[in-house]
Amino acid sequence: MLRRRAGESLLIGDDIEIELLELTSQGAKIGIRAPRETVVLRKELKIIREQNTHAARGLESGDLGKTLKEFSRNSSRISPRTDKHSES
Amino acid sequence: MPLIETKYFGTMSFEHESVFDFPCGLPAFEEEKRFVFIEIAEYAPLVFLQSLTRQSLCFLALPVLSVDPDYRLELSSEDRAALELEGQPECGGGILALALLSLHDGFPATANLMAPVVVNVRTRRALQAIRMDRRYSHQHPLRRPGIAPVCEGVC
Repeated sequence: MLRRRAGESLLIGDDIEIELLELTSQGAKIGIRAPRETVVLRKELKIIREQNTHAARGLESGDLGKTLKEFSRNSSRISPRTDKHSES
Repeated sequence: MPLIETKYFGTMSFEHESVFDFPCGLPAFEEEKRFVFIEIAEYAPLVFLQSLTRQSLCFLALPVLSVDPDYRLELSSEDRAALELEGQPECGGGILALALLSLHDGFPATANLMAPVVVNVRTRRALQAIRMDRRYSHQHPLRRPGIAPVCEGVC
């Protein structure tokens, strides 16, 4: 663990620099200087990419209609439509 | 009326008002920028997000309030700007918020409440808004079929 103040940096290896640009109650603004080929991702984005890939598989077998009806029965009925009718 | 080949329902006609633009796509599906939202009465409140360009891609979704009646949106300033929203939006009133479902045989069914699909219905623009906080899970467990509904009659 390292303690850094706004304006201070840290180095990872020879060519990655991470600078703490700004600290507010909303969070920290971080600047990253890294080689072009280095992928920099918010961790949440990686999680959501994986979850979307999982979700996209969808239902592949079994009785689709039966499964969906069971799920819809178990979900509270709040209309998603907001274009023509506002939600109650 | 235009036609679309869907993953689950064969060929369907759709209205232009049912098409929503995702200018940035969705994470892992950045190239998919237009989806038809399909609602089928017998499966309500499920919504099917069918890609216009890829037949095999269709997300299942539920309104976030169907999953958690107390759900509160919390969009980053960047996401609000992309959707042309001023201030923090609430579900309803021109904002549609859907949780994508993971629903497979052999896996527990979950809803992604950490990154809801948020739609500005007026502009027909949508994005998947990843929350900055840790208030909600990307794998929120859904009640399994056959268990008595808990939230019936919420609205």
